[in-house]
Amino acid sequence: MADNGGCVTLRGALIRDLLDSKHNVLFDCDGVIWNGETAVTGAPEVVSLLKQRGKRVFFVTNNCTRPRENYVQKFSRLGFTDVAEEEIFSSAYCSAAYLRDVARLEGKVYVIGCGGVMKELRDAGVPVAEEEDAEPGASIYTCPLDPDVKAVLVGYDENFTFMKLAKACCYLRSPECLFLATDPDPWHPLRGGRVTPGSGSLTAALETASSRKATVIGKPSRFMFDCIASQFDVDPARSLMIGDRLETDVLFGSNCGLTTVLTLTGVSTLEEALVYRDSQEPQKKHCAPDYVIESVADFLQALDE
Amino acid sequence: MASSKCTRLTEALSRPLLDSVDSVLFDCDGVLWRGDQAIPGASEVINSLKKSGKQVFFVTNNSSKTRQMYADKLGKLGFDASKDEVFGTGYCSAMYLKNVCKLDGKVYLIGSNAMRQELEYVGIQPVGVGPDPISGVQKDWANIPLDNEVRAVLVGFDEHFSYMKLNRALQYLCNPDCQFVGTNMDATLPLEGGKTIPGTGCILRSVETAAQRQAQVVGKPSNFIFECVASQFGLNPERCLMVGDRLDTDIMLGSNCGLKTLLALTGVSTVAEAEANQKSECPQRQKMVPDYYIESVADILPALQA
Repeated sequence: MADNGGCVTLRGALIRDLLDSKHNVLFDCDGVIWNGETAVTGAPEVVSLLKQRGKRVFFVTNNCTRPRENYVQKFSRLGFTDVAEEEIFSSAYCSAAYLRDVARLEGKVYVIGCGGVMKELRDAGVPVAEEEDAEPGASIYTCPLDPDVKAVLVGYDENFTFMKLAKACCYLRSPECLFLATDPDPWHPLRGGRVTPGSGSLTAALETASSRKATVIGKPSRFMFDCIASQFDVDPARSLMIGDRLETDVLFGSNCGLTTVLTLTGVSTLEEALVYRDSQEPQKKHCAPDYVIESVADFLQALDE
Repeated sequence: MASSKCTRLTEALSRPLLDSVDSVLFDCDGVLWRGDQAIPGASEVINSLKKSGKQVFFVTNNSSKTRQMYADKLGKLGFDASKDEVFGTGYCSAMYLKNVCKLDGKVYLIGSNAMRQELEYVGIQPVGVGPDPISGVQKDWANIPLDNEVRAVLVGFDEHFSYMKLNRALQYLCNPDCQFVGTNMDATLPLEGGKTIPGTGCILRSVETAAQRQAQVVGKPSNFIFECVASQFGLNPERCLMVGDRLDTDIMLGSNCGLKTLLALTGVSTVAEAEANQKSECPQRQKMVPDYYIESVADILPALQA
């Protein structure tokens, strides 16, 4: 098996051999098993067949906009049967797990984030600082601070304002206050080739304001894999990571010692993968996948036998 | 050259330094005032410099006031200043878009009303100023209606900065022919009493990250802001002194443009930081070493009155 970022096209017997050697398959979601509200053709069948073959399947997504129970509904809606909540690892869920289990936060977290993140924090029992919207006299120059806040978490937030940025910055003046970001994605693709700003662009604002670097929970950081490993017995050497974004999914797989597959139904292209493969810089080489497929449906040829 | 850098400006050294320059460029925050309080003695220095025949300019990265608003503030604090001597990044961005980008079209502006005025003053029409809260759902945002006359995105300080504004800027910047200009990279905006709030740098970094593009930055330490002054007044860099409180903007600008530099210790940077830069091997850090430093600009007064 060529596990060295060689961008080898997967076909024929190679697919079967690869699947035989792996027990765990980790899928990114957007651009891999679905695009928006449309499943990638063949993806539901691939997931189902992998499970029938006794493989453990996990879904590892940087998208923090939904709580896990909403993801379960989306899976069902798009034709994926039997996907359990426990198999879904989103950056929102993992950020809450980090605060509760790794940081063991004693105090509240000030959140710049959306409903999905708030729900996961509440479900994990992590106290969230309440946002007082229409406070008389509050401005970007004088905003009241909650003395119980011991962490700041930043993620995708469509209600992001300068006021939130100023407030978060005030909390981060204390070096003991933790600084977390759900994921580093600068933008997210939407239907029709358009894009929308991602968590990474909001994190950049806060890092610049505070002169501090955030601890990033999502891919390519290892934490989401450590989160999976804390709940399930996963051997990296027997695990496969399938993603569409070289700088997040493939680098994540590489950082965790997983075999990596790039699928071409999402963000990154084969050309970009080859540039990383041929680079002299070690960090860039880690963004080159071991294997490349056109779509996850390519696995059907091996699974249907 | 390098060996005589970072020297305390004594009264004895002040006289020859002043004789060697015709123009003195002052940063404002942390040099002439702090918030709304003038640095004691600063106005006497400015006014004496002018009386002795030196040209004086006010060069600031702040984009929230027009040149006239700055001149008014300077006047209130006792400084003899006219609008033509003020170079803020609102005005300089407008000049940059007009003369360097040769903008033919509108600009999507993340910035203040003051910036809007400076743009309109040079005949450029901005769109987008003011509050812009989110509406609709995610799939609507990539499809918000764009003004097809917009040919540039300009980012300055904007207290109404929001996700929707970030999104609009991103949509325009997806077109590689759309120009991308920023007023400055300062991470914080100083307020009175030593307080700070996030600065334009945060807003600009946010837009750069989403768009995966770098802005052309007009303010210090970019050369452009000096060239703006120099081209209007025919300045010779070797006969100019830059006085500022920040090593990474004011002093760097001076080094980049070949000006003499004086660090005033009434603001952000310290002598220790300057000396650390001086000892460093890094060429970039070497540019952040002033020729001279002084406790306060007020300390120049004795040499002027002598």
